[in-house]
Amino acid sequence: MSRLEAKKPSICSREPLPGGRAGASLAALRGLVASCYGPAGRLKQLHNGRGGPVAATSHSAALLAGLPVSHPVLKVLTAAVRSHVACFSDAGLFTAILCCNLVENVQRLGLTPTTVIRLNKHLLSLCTSYLKSEVCACRIPVDFGSTQILLSLVRSILTSKPACMLIAKEIDHISTLILRAFLLTIPENAQEHVILGKSVIVPLKGQRVIDSAVLPGILIEVSEVQLMKILPIKKSDSFKVAVFCVSLSGDLSDTGEGTLLVSYGVSLENAALDQLFNLGKQLVNDHVDLVLCQKVIHPSLKQFLRTHQIIAVDRIGVSLMEPLSKVTGTRPIGSLGSISPSSYGTVKDLCIAKFGCKHFFHLIPNKTTVCSLLLCNRNDTAWDELKLTCQTALHALQLTLKEPYVLLGGGCTETHLVAYIRNKTRNEPESILRGERCSQTELQLITEAFCSALESLAGSLEHDGGEVLTDGKYGHFWSVQANLPSAVNWPDLPSRCGCGLYSSQEELSWSFLRSARHPFPPQTCLSPEAKDSADTLTLDCFTAKLSGLQVAVETASLILDLSCVIEDTN
Amino acid sequence: MAAAGSVTVALHVAEVLETIVSGCLGPEGRQVLCTKPTGEVLLSRDGGRLLKALHLEHPVARVMVACVSSHLRQTGDGAKTFIIFLCHLLRGLREITDKEKDYFLFENIQTCGRHWKNCCQWKFISQALLTFQTQILDYIMDLYLSRHFLSIFSSCSKERTLCRSSLEMLLGAYFCGRVGRNNHNLISQLMCDYVFKCTACESRFEEVLEIVDDCFVELKVGVTGLPVSDSRIIAGLVLQRDFSVYCPADGDIRIAIVTETIQPLFSVSGSEFILNSEAQFQTSQLWITERTKAIVKHLQSQNVKLLLSTVKQPDLVIYCAGLNGISVVECLSHEELSLIQRVIGLAPFALSEASSQYELSHTALVKFCKPLILRSKRYVHLGLVSTCSFTPHCVILCGPVQGLIEQHEDALHGAFKMLRQVFKDLDLNYVTQTSDQNCTSGPRIYENSREKNELPKIVNSSIQRSYQDTVVKNKGELAKTQTNLKVCSNLIVPDVKLEKTVLCSAPKVAVTDSYQTEETLRCSSPNKGTIMDDHEPYIESNSANSTTENTRREISYENLQVTKLARKDSMLPLRYKSLEMCSSQSYYFSSIPAGCVLPVGGNFEILLHYYLLNYAKKCRQSEQTMVSRIIANALLGVPKILYKSKKGNYSFPQVYVRALQALQTNQPMISNQTGLESVAGKYQLLTSVLQCLTNILTVDLVINIERQPQEIYDQDSEEEL
Repeated sequence: MSRLEAKKPSICSREPLPGGRAGASLAALRGLVASCYGPAGRLKQLHNGRGGPVAATSHSAALLAGLPVSHPVLKVLTAAVRSHVACFSDAGLFTAILCCNLVENVQRLGLTPTTVIRLNKHLLSLCTSYLKSEVCACRIPVDFGSTQILLSLVRSILTSKPACMLIAKEIDHISTLILRAFLLTIPENAQEHVILGKSVIVPLKGQRVIDSAVLPGILIEVSEVQLMKILPIKKSDSFKVAVFCVSLSGDLSDTGEGTLLVSYGVSLENAALDQLFNLGKQLVNDHVDLVLCQKVIHPSLKQFLRTHQIIAVDRIGVSLMEPLSKVTGTRPIGSLGSISPSSYGTVKDLCIAKFGCKHFFHLIPNKTTVCSLLLCNRNDTAWDELKLTCQTALHALQLTLKEPYVLLGGGCTETHLVAYIRNKTRNEPESILRGERCSQTELQLITEAFCSALESLAGSLEHDGGEVLTDGKYGHFWSVQANLPSAVNWPDLPSRCGCGLYSSQEELSWSFLRSARHPFPPQTCLSPEAKDSADTLTLDCFTAKLSGLQVAVETASLILDLSCVIEDTN
Repeated sequence: MAAAGSVTVALHVAEVLETIVSGCLGPEGRQVLCTKPTGEVLLSRDGGRLLKALHLEHPVARVMVACVSSHLRQTGDGAKTFIIFLCHLLRGLREITDKEKDYFLFENIQTCGRHWKNCCQWKFISQALLTFQTQILDYIMDLYLSRHFLSIFSSCSKERTLCRSSLEMLLGAYFCGRVGRNNHNLISQLMCDYVFKCTACESRFEEVLEIVDDCFVELKVGVTGLPVSDSRIIAGLVLQRDFSVYCPADGDIRIAIVTETIQPLFSVSGSEFILNSEAQFQTSQLWITERTKAIVKHLQSQNVKLLLSTVKQPDLVIYCAGLNGISVVECLSHEELSLIQRVIGLAPFALSEASSQYELSHTALVKFCKPLILRSKRYVHLGLVSTCSFTPHCVILCGPVQGLIEQHEDALHGAFKMLRQVFKDLDLNYVTQTSDQNCTSGPRIYENSREKNELPKIVNSSIQRSYQDTVVKNKGELAKTQTNLKVCSNLIVPDVKLEKTVLCSAPKVAVTDSYQTEETLRCSSPNKGTIMDDHEPYIESNSANSTTENTRREISYENLQVTKLARKDSMLPLRYKSLEMCSSQSYYFSSIPAGCVLPVGGNFEILLHYYLLNYAKKCRQSEQTMVSRIIANALLGVPKILYKSKKGNYSFPQVYVRALQALQTNQPMISNQTGLESVAGKYQLLTSVLQCLTNILTVDLVINIERQPQEIYDQDSEEEL
């Protein structure tokens, strides 16, 4: 019986933003995400209070996935950030903070949404076209001939996630591992269409981070009981492998919708087992050395195979099937009948490896693009964060391969962009105002809102009460310690800018980040000496950040455009 | 509990709804955020969706929402305008009652009695509304408004071909009201490209629209997390699933469709399979394996490289297919299957046919078949070779959130619905009361039409006293008429152009001006005159070498052509009837031809407002005058909201005064808007609103019942008393 219940009427609220509930929730969310941002960001502990897992994180994906959001406006924002992170892995907090800042700054102005949205779109296109242009001074082209820039990128990503609990030495170790794992996935003889391989992350919790390693090929975890049954591996040049995706447990497959009548005394189990033994015989005749099965192998068949010196490993799981067939070059076998010889593959070597307290069965391929990243960390929470960060870094490297540029990190890109936009709108407002029905004052107001959103985003990197400065030449980001002795001439203190590209010996006119100052044209066209001079730069993924910028502005426009909210209470 | 249904209550409800929808109306409209019961968020500016999302409880509101949704089912557009217009009508009606209040106070009746009296009055008014809707509206549309219509089709050639710039303007205006303001240009451009890319043959676009409208869900792919500007159109069909097994293949790729598992099963439903021995079991399994292999082999021998299956195939089939170089896509939905079948005309093959040695008849050629990766999700991309006028293309819609993508999907789907409506003829028919002196004209027209081989005439009503007939010569004289028209337009065009250059000194935006030359040969003799309409939508681009397109159309001629067709079966008997009735009434059948449009920005409303007021002045019956006045004034509600944020010269009073002046002096109306909207849609909206209003007015009491309501019915006043 169905229960019918009348639908409750929805709640409709007009003008959600100014002074409403949404404004307060938005401010709360901004505070939350901004405090997580950057290497000095604070961690958030998520738990459900009922004995569920506890996660300490500052990663946007983990944070927003666990965060219960009640207000619909915030739901839009978090959904936008989450889908951005799902796409690009990186720059999630950047997107969230920028979007919150933009909404808050712009709605304070009280201009009509049409003007705001149009001008914001214009400023966005100003930013993106500058970032994509050749003269852009906060973009560095990546030279794949050396690992320096790539390593810096990975290190920046690892550093920005304090919840991984890594010390400097460990960061160096893990960044090298990640880069190596990434390089292993690139096929050697690349044609026009490069298909990257896969690096499988293997968990190993409770070990020292330094014990992490990258191994070519695939690691299959085996229990100690299974291990004892596995025969000593004989020496050979190559091993013949058969991979089954069908169950070898002797169960009866789909028999159709009709009924199946079995006469008394007929044992289908025996019949099925006979069939399995026939299969085993064929495998023996084909000189297969290793049988892997996604599902379960019948114990009798296992025994049979062992007596014929064939190693059998079952319960591989579906997630490993694709890399497995790539490593071994097999076609997963879906038949219990005759097997086509073309379905078999080979591996170069087999061995049993022990890492920490776990035993692995290691398949070493001849030449493939699959590798295993054995990741260790002290506890579960830190390991989860490290895994997320490693995935982010690997993804960032892939994106960099597609678009070989990186952006300066450490807040320098933001402050530089601010200087660029300020200068552009002050000096050439006609180019923007043309075709738009709005006044110059409106443009200045929106530009100020947009720029201060970017500035306070950069300012969010500073969590320890320090001061943030910007210089009058490059428009970079400099941070100084808090509580300085008053006697010291403070502008002399910062030694390097946020990204590490420039040092302070040059004559720079410093000013506070959020103070009023005269717009200046920031130096464009990065000089080649500059990027060679510094060896450890803080870098950001170009594609992810650019898209994050776009998503943030688009989502902010969307939120500002809302005239009312209809909440379904059913 | 019973509550009196009254205009005041209905007005309160309508006003609440109006405040919600008016915020999203027009190009300045804003977004509304809806949450679904599942917690997902949805952005919308679609009036119908908003009204549904509100889950209204108030009985009058529910009647309104029901009316809106039935209107939307028919046309797919105009929900917001519906509410606004209804609200203004109710406001107009209440003003009248307020005026008549003194009268009631004078009478000093009991409250209850007054209520019933009120109801009688509403009943009366609603009947007048109905009369208006069925008779006067069509009459005015046909006689006065039709001369202002523009057409979306290009050139004067017989074949109807879509004019790209007109379509762009039509879609631009539509999306202005449907999607966020920073995206509507992009989406309308996308849609326009899509229509033209999908249309293989220019003249058969209606077929294409039908397919796209029916199968839109299968023709779009939504990708979250990317900026909206990444949305694009790709050739071919994208299936929203991955290959079960993919074997790269080039050249001659044939596909086959199956609807059942290829591997034979032990028993089919309703049958019994008796196993007597283990050997029997083994042989039957062996047979199954062999049979499966044989079928797949057979497919391979027929050069089939891709197998589309509606069901999940067993591992064995996938394995065999992989060995034989056949890619497999499983679990296709029925909608996807029917779309593929419509496009390539391919039927699923029967398995019994597969084993035999003769060739498979049910295979088709595809250009390519490859995986498509969108944001690390894999799809199947097929280059189908179309056998109908629809060339398959897919829209990839990107957006930061799912809610926004859904909004764009809805808007695109709605736009296809709207376009289908635009390309349909809409019939108008009305009765005119002819005065005594015209009494004889009825039969005369009839005779004329018999003699002159279907020579249609439109007789003006008696109100104007001097009636003008639109006479269009039959085919022999057609050429002459056309040349005549051409001469006329040639004479007029230079003037128009001059005017235009003066008007549009700023060369930035594409400006559409509709010029219409009024009745050049009007009333040279009282009985015969030819109405000619000449509409020229200009599109001027930024560059000096402006691509000017002249869309010229003889509306009256079109109308009459349609009439000719219609008359063959239905017209004649009716005319006989009018003869028998001593010809005090004449029935007229006309139509709004397909593709009729007007510039946006309240053009339709102002025009109709003007002609209704004119009509009301001349009308003798008082209730007709009143109804026409109310409707005429209510019509202005929509343009008022549209121009609300505009200032100075573009504010509503300015626009309105200018338009009226232009109409009075028979000058062309100048519109500063660049979009177009469908006339038929507006007309249907008007009739739907009037029907809804009569619905509301005729209810005098709303009764709340405990049981599942079967039907809302009118309570008789006697029973209650």
